[in-house]
Amino acid sequence: MAKTLFWLQCGGCGGDSMSMLNSESPDLPEFLEIFEVELLWHPSFSNRSLADYQLLLSQLCSGDRKLDFLCVEGSLIRGPGGTGMYDTLFGLPKKDLLGNLVSRADTVLAVGTCASFGGIGADGEVEAMGLQFHKSQKGGFLSETFKTKSGLPVINLPGCPCHCEAVKGVLAAIISGMEIPLNAHNMPLEYYGMTIHQGCTRNEYHEYRVEEHNFGERGCLFFHLGCHGPLVYGPCNKLLWNGRSSKTRVGVPCFGCTRPDFPQAYPFFRTRNIEGIPLELPDGVDRAHYLAYKGMAAAAAPQRLKTRKTWV
Amino acid sequence: MAHTEMMNIALNRVEGDLEVRVGIEDGVVTDAWSSGIMYRGFERILIGRAALDALVITPRICGICSTAQLAAACQALEMIAQVEPAPSAVLLRNVLLMTEQLQSDMRHTFLMFCPDFANPIYSNHPLFQEAVNRYEPLRGKAALETIQETRKVLEIVALIGGQWPHSSYMVPGGITSVPSKSDLMQCRLLLSRFRKWYEARVLGCDLDRWSEVKSASDLDAWLEEKASQRESELGFYLRFARSIGLPSLGRGHSNFVSYGSLPMPAGTSVKTVNGSELLIPSGFVCGAQRQMFNQEKIAEDISFAWYRDNGDPKHPFSGDTLPYATGNEGVKYSWTKAPRYDGKPAETGPLAEMLISENPLFMDLVSAEGPNSFVRQLARIVRLAYFLPVMEKWLSEASQGDTFYHFVEEIDEGEGMGLVHGARGALGHWVKVAGGEIQHYQIITPTAWNASPRDGSVTRGPWEEALIGTRLKDLNNPLELGHIVRSFDACMVCAVHTISNNSNRPPGILIC
Repeated sequence: MAKTLFWLQCGGCGGDSMSMLNSESPDLPEFLEIFEVELLWHPSFSNRSLADYQLLLSQLCSGDRKLDFLCVEGSLIRGPGGTGMYDTLFGLPKKDLLGNLVSRADTVLAVGTCASFGGIGADGEVEAMGLQFHKSQKGGFLSETFKTKSGLPVINLPGCPCHCEAVKGVLAAIISGMEIPLNAHNMPLEYYGMTIHQGCTRNEYHEYRVEEHNFGERGCLFFHLGCHGPLVYGPCNKLLWNGRSSKTRVGVPCFGCTRPDFPQAYPFFRTRNIEGIPLELPDGVDRAHYLAYKGMAAAAAPQRLKTRKTWV
Repeated sequence: MAHTEMMNIALNRVEGDLEVRVGIEDGVVTDAWSSGIMYRGFERILIGRAALDALVITPRICGICSTAQLAAACQALEMIAQVEPAPSAVLLRNVLLMTEQLQSDMRHTFLMFCPDFANPIYSNHPLFQEAVNRYEPLRGKAALETIQETRKVLEIVALIGGQWPHSSYMVPGGITSVPSKSDLMQCRLLLSRFRKWYEARVLGCDLDRWSEVKSASDLDAWLEEKASQRESELGFYLRFARSIGLPSLGRGHSNFVSYGSLPMPAGTSVKTVNGSELLIPSGFVCGAQRQMFNQEKIAEDISFAWYRDNGDPKHPFSGDTLPYATGNEGVKYSWTKAPRYDGKPAETGPLAEMLISENPLFMDLVSAEGPNSFVRQLARIVRLAYFLPVMEKWLSEASQGDTFYHFVEEIDEGEGMGLVHGARGALGHWVKVAGGEIQHYQIITPTAWNASPRDGSVTRGPWEEALIGTRLKDLNNPLELGHIVRSFDACMVCAVHTISNNSNRPPGILIC
């Protein structure tokens, strides 16, 4: 029997839906067909009549129609003053509808950083929050202990936007009855078990501490230009974007968009540092040893890297 | 006495959720209110952040036009930094912005607009089954091909800019990357693949043949010339849209605005209309009258928008964005402000671009029948026919370049604006920086122009006006309203519903 999927857009830009259209092998329509997923509703792709849509919503909310997957895109907007009226559907706050749907769904996926952690509006006057987190704090719109009918918490698939393979991969794993190992922020390790840095074509520059101060060069962006690649987890340089590249490969620093504090309060293009060494070091390293290693690495840097002769 | 019935039409978002309320007498729309129903507070998120942070935050306004937001932010910062970007970077920025527009135009047409032709209301139409075969969501042939081909063409953006959507590769001075000759060759191959699809499936003829279509009668002759043209997506659009009377819908104010877009790179072999410095010229058209564009004539009116009143309409350098929900007071009805040019509402988008650049086909179509939903969507379907040859030239010229970035000092102080065109038309960012931080940021999106509410003189916004006089065949399924609003390309998604005060009728329809 086909699995059912309902896609709800809340406070967001639609970028995660656009990211889904980046899918290839299989693309979105092929994926739905192969895994027998019935897309009950997606605001960009569906063509139902309103009577139909309202009937569907009432059936889902009453439990008369089963809901296997609820995908939520965009943050929960609570403003102004907790009313949720900055984001409405049929004149009612969208958060009320969401509260009902999460209790009916077998599995809930928070697609993108806004739905996972609050994202863009989390510090703003719209009072945005994530489904089960508010930034890195456990407990968001739903409590810390909330579990969906499947027994899983809300599965967070952050990224701005979320990589399409993470969404397809998690849906496919659940349909196939596989376990989904999660990290402390309920992000699947399969897609968030590697840093953005892993697979970056500038890694050799990083290795020898050949670091850039300006754009338009081939070196590493970690020490001065704000790159979060070694600090943050996500599949960008493993799976690549649009099947082709990634921000860091083309000289755009990683802004750490999968991390619960995105968008960070400090400037994006300037690394916070102590005496020229980044304040935040690669996850888990010891500062003293790191300094010693980086000093030796810089001294060992080959001329071809220092003169940016090696392509990226 | 005629009974006025009110209906609410809710439009889902990308750049902001929208809802349109219409008054109906004897089946004809007599009044309309367009209401943005989502507030996200972007402008205020930017205040106090480092100047360059606008390159990261503003693309997140919109998942389908993030490149246009990036381009506008970058241009505003470049004006503040007083720097000219590297010419090869200008070529590539233009190509990437145009690539995003190809994507958006095709997705809007075949995933958002044309699926209305497969609505059950047309089930007795002789072409209905064919419309279903082409446009059924996630199944129709045109829908599937559009998903595949737009996905592929966006790889151009990823090759130069890392990813689509939401990258920040345009920076004051140029772009961050140093594309290799092979990267640029890949871009050319991807574009040529897209062009082949567009010629074979969307037009049914090559671009040279299409470029000969310069009048309404040329268009009629083109349609009848060959089976490949009649059966193409464009051919089917022409036949279906005319058969349902689309040319009689959605006239509007007949005012059009273009900020101008796509700066001509130094030394390019591409020629522009009247030697304009921009491929898409700027201008304002008011009925038959044409004017030079001057951005100082833009002001935002908040008489009917949920923002705190601060006197007369303000230019975006002096206006602010202070949300002020009035509840049921009944005057204010939208989170969208009302941008006005010289005090007048104006429509923006592909049709505005065609008229301001004096495209003979569109000048002829509009002089014969006035602006309407048919011609508005037609402009969106064929805009890329004019873009593709230019993009090919610019990619080839960029392959000769080796400098893609000019060094820029820290951006400390000043004011600047970025005026560009995204897929939906005129987009502007007005920015002030002091002490390296953003002090002021105002954004006017294309949809703000098109979906604007009334202004202080109680003049309706463009699509409010375009709805007036529409005769609805079926009050339970007022699809005409969806055609009209969608012909303005109301962001990505339009969900249309009606709330009737006649409780015996079903609540209405929702179209996506």
